[in-house]
Amino acid sequence: MLNQEEFIRIIRENEALIYKVSRVYANTKEDEQDLHQEIVYQLWKSFSSFRNESKLSTWMYRIALNTSIAHLNKEKRKGNYEPISEMMLNESDINNFLAEERVEILYAHIRQLSKIEKAIILLFLEGKTYDEIAEITGFTATNIGTRLGRIKQKLKSQIKK
Amino acid sequence: MEFEELKSQWAEMSGEIKNQKKLTESLIIKMTKMNYRNKLGKILIPEAIGACICFAAAIYILFSFQNLDGWYLKTCGIISVIILFLIPILSFHSIHKIRSVNIPDNNYKQFLLEYSKGKLQFVFIQKLIFYLGALLFLTALPMMARLIAGKDLFTETRLWLWYAIGYPFFYGFSRWVFKKYIKTTVEAEDILRELENN
Repeated sequence: MLNQEEFIRIIRENEALIYKVSRVYANTKEDEQDLHQEIVYQLWKSFSSFRNESKLSTWMYRIALNTSIAHLNKEKRKGNYEPISEMMLNESDINNFLAEERVEILYAHIRQLSKIEKAIILLFLEGKTYDEIAEITGFTATNIGTRLGRIKQKLKSQIKK
Repeated sequence: MEFEELKSQWAEMSGEIKNQKKLTESLIIKMTKMNYRNKLGKILIPEAIGACICFAAAIYILFSFQNLDGWYLKTCGIISVIILFLIPILSFHSIHKIRSVNIPDNNYKQFLLEYSKGKLQFVFIQKLIFYLGALLFLTALPMMARLIAGKDLFTETRLWLWYAIGYPFFYGFSRWVFKKYIKTTVEAEDILRELENN
């Protein structure tokens, strides 16, 4: 059985994954922080049942993406989470304003996609293969290919606007 | 910006994030112990209070049932008791259903499917509860007037007139309440359509 130390190590090694999923699904900074915490919480809750049957990243993506759907559909839960100032991670350290602006544009394009498309493009941009995306999402690899084609077209026209 | 450019920007950004480890051990522990009590409390306490009020009112009516004279007041009493038991049960059921969709064991497609279906059912039950609440108002008004003030509104006043006056307000209020459910319903239906559309 994996312990808390192991969990902390895994979270620290994969914090970029949680950060990116939260930022793609949340529309505001507040939601992003809430979602980030909720993902860590859900990962911790399911950690004891993780049996290495799938890759660690597959398990993490699956929980992070499912949590994003469940969490953001719930009623606004302002004040439900501890305000953790250190949570203002990463972006505050991207000192280059232009770089941050470019990153925000990038996320803004992805946020305009549907929930299914968001997950597929996120995993594709993360360098996952069609088979890996299929394993995480439950769609067939062929279907992922078809959907990705449509998403690329959609993004291209969005970017050109 | 072209799609390929977007991909390279993503990789560049991922590299930057990777180099900025920010989560400390204590922060992660704090997140795992996230004020779960508050979270449970926020959802369950108001529901539990509401259920207690409904059950207490139902028990009060049952114990005072012999004071309801006339078939119409008795009918109002029976309908009220049934609704007062039904509302909390339906409410708990709809919340439990949507919260019980399994996060770790479902893939994204299964989760979206279950969650969207749950949302549609949730909206349906919420609407049903609203209508039951309105019916409860109709039946509880003459019955409580009898039990508390000893008045029979059916014979002593023009009860129908109060109902007629109240109807436009109820109609307007229901339109306002249901408006917030339209977006939820449309969104859930869109997801289900998109999932079917391979």
